[in-house]
Amino acid sequence: MISHGLTRLSLRVRGKLTCILTTMTSIGTGYDLSASTYSPDGRIFQVEYANKAVENSGTAIGLRVKDGVVLAVEKLIHSKLLVPGANRRIQTVDRHIGMASAGLLADSRKISQLARDSGAQTRKQWKEPLTVKALSDTVSWNAQTYTLYSSVRPFGVSTIFGGVDKSGPSLYIVEPSGVCLGYHGAAVGKGRQLAKTELEKLKLSELSMREAVMEAARIIYLVHDDNKEKEFELEMTWVGVESNDLHLPVPADLLEEAKKKAKDALETFE
Amino acid sequence: MDHFPTNWGRPRNDAFDAYATYPIHQRPYNGPKDTFADGVQRTQQPIVTGTSVLAIKYKDGVMMAADNLASYGSLARFKDVQRLHQVGNYTVIGAGGDMSDFQYIQYILEELSIDEISAQDGHELGPIEIHEYMSQLMYARRSKMNPLWNSLLIGGFKDGKRFLSYVDLLGTTYSASTLATGYGAFIAQPLLRKAVEGREDVITEEEARKILEDSMRVLFYRDARSMNKFQIATISSAGVSISDSMQLETAWSFAENIRGYGAQTQ
Amino acid sequence: MIMPDMDSLAHPQERRFNPYTENGGTILAIAGADFSVIAGDTRQSEGYSIQTRYAPKVFRLTDRAVLAVNGFAADGNMFVKKVKQRLEWYHHAHAKDMPLRAIARLIQTMLYARRFFPYYVYNILGGIEEDGTGAVYSFDPVGSYEREACRAAGAAQSLVQPFLDNQIYFKNQEAAQGTSHPSHLPLETVLSIVIDSFTSATERHIEVGDGLEIFIALSKGRTLQGMESIRGLQELTVTEDGERLFVMRRDLKKD
Repeated sequence: MISHGLTRLSLRVRGKLTCILTTMTSIGTGYDLSASTYSPDGRIFQVEYANKAVENSGTAIGLRVKDGVVLAVEKLIHSKLLVPGANRRIQTVDRHIGMASAGLLADSRKISQLARDSGAQTRKQWKEPLTVKALSDTVSWNAQTYTLYSSVRPFGVSTIFGGVDKSGPSLYIVEPSGVCLGYHGAAVGKGRQLAKTELEKLKLSELSMREAVMEAARIIYLVHDDNKEKEFELEMTWVGVESNDLHLPVPADLLEEAKKKAKDALETFE
Repeated sequence: MDHFPTNWGRPRNDAFDAYATYPIHQRPYNGPKDTFADGVQRTQQPIVTGTSVLAIKYKDGVMMAADNLASYGSLARFKDVQRLHQVGNYTVIGAGGDMSDFQYIQYILEELSIDEISAQDGHELGPIEIHEYMSQLMYARRSKMNPLWNSLLIGGFKDGKRFLSYVDLLGTTYSASTLATGYGAFIAQPLLRKAVEGREDVITEEEARKILEDSMRVLFYRDARSMNKFQIATISSAGVSISDSMQLETAWSFAENIRGYGAQTQ
Repeated sequence: MIMPDMDSLAHPQERRFNPYTENGGTILAIAGADFSVIAGDTRQSEGYSIQTRYAPKVFRLTDRAVLAVNGFAADGNMFVKKVKQRLEWYHHAHAKDMPLRAIARLIQTMLYARRFFPYYVYNILGGIEEDGTGAVYSFDPVGSYEREACRAAGAAQSLVQPFLDNQIYFKNQEAAQGTSHPSHLPLETVLSIVIDSFTSATERHIEVGDGLEIFIALSKGRTLQGMESIRGLQELTVTEDGERLFVMRRDLKKD
């Protein structure tokens, strides 16, 4: 008697749930359990979920300007107990290349390791620093591999690679799908839509690096949602003539100036 | 008594070693033979070589000199080789000995520098760290009986302190206010000591340069594997700078008056 | 670098990498009843070349153990580094310094581990035993060791050891009628014997000279007894255990 009743109840609930979920994202259809399976309409849900991980992360942007590249990250501080400056989201790949990431930080560490190995290998084989394009290609090739098998999960990060090489300043994004595209201005993470709109307003190829630092700071402060998110740290690096073609943190005084201007701009914007 | 332990207990006939008394690295081997063993080569002698490197401490830091010649035996094979190499922002490494091994060392140190930059931990490699790393590397390689055939001088200036030290293919290290490798150890070192010892805090950059130039000139006169084209590196609080190649004034007119050798005058 | 001699250029020869060299210098240690003195010169040389006038050969291991190493300098430095590392691990495991006799045994094990590719170094370990007596242990390159009252090693061993035999063990000396030789000498006497040994070795051996470093380990409860007057004495004691360690430096002739 009792068991019979339970079965009927659960059947009813299950039917309702399936109905709701399929109308939303096809969850529960079974096509989202493995990266090795397409859905009937040609999507790989695991890759799309990986993009969700990226969307949950603080914004990261990159500006490719006249004589260099500027990377900036809105690093959300989820605890006051964290040491300021810790858990950097912008990492150095090689002397002349940096990467900023949005998504799972642990995954981005693996990507930076991969990227550094690639840099070391290029140097060993060709006695030449690798180009940002070649680096992004290598990383994207790896990321794509992780969209093919049921035994692995795609990387939960979108990575912006920025640097200066023999072809000048370069900026690329590698997404969880393995897609790799070059940009004048790049934005990933939570606030990417607004950030892109702001980037589009700029004449990026005419900006100096110092101007780009100001703009990058302004955009990060602009896209930060005070109501939803708690504290954030502005992390910013650059590569180009200002840094002697080395990937280095933006000097502290310039960073402070940029922050101040960004805050002032915020007042007038609203 | 024979103080060299590799000689102890060794039978007089080198072909026979009944009691396995040889050190492992030179024990006679009677087991199955690897046909391709001869294909694995280790450096048993240098091929393309650089000669002396000189270095002194002076008031503001360290100064180092080496010529631009890489010899193939007695042949002056490569005449535009840089033997002073900057590592990081505070260090110069100068090499005598095998130049291919030196190029390998440069590659290793480049890798090390990039790893260090990527760590972004606020630490930078100074001359002390580079010297420790190189001495561990050189000693490890000699212990594998596969040495990097070089004598290296490592000089630098960091955190207000100058540093000058030596390491060679055996892993032997030492530091002093004047150092010289190769023939320079016999010919230039006495001159350097006389000019520098006890005056390390007085010698100006100009004077230091003159001391090194004078020693390089003597070496050029006396060392048949040297060349009158060299570079000078200065490392001080202002950072590292390695000069362009330069030449010295030399005078050979006395040679016309030389007749025979020693007491022979005809 | 060894200067090539003429006959080696005359006929072809097989060239093989020799992983060893000899860096000269001399070390010496003497044990007293409640102290131990360990000394070494600071010259490092190869052939006829002085590489440096200051390269320490005597190292503090703990407050009651000092190690002197002589022979192939690169091996010596590496060996000391490894011994110190083992002592640090011991300290982490047991929250105390390793006793002297245990360090001695450790050194023999570490040396013998390289029996077939030896560290080409002669070690002399000096210090204070757990029973408070001064001790000297001497080793050969592959780990044979014994506790002694005194030992010299290195380039001038053959000059210094007979002198110590005579002055410490009173070999070839007849005690005056109705008296006997003392079994232990006072620190003051020992120090002057050490200094005399090195000045003499400097005179007669080209590989000895430049500087002298003398370590003095004192047993628990022993008063300084006149040591205050020693010029330039520097204390190295770290722990509060009671044993004390000092070092004194002297110039030797540089020619």
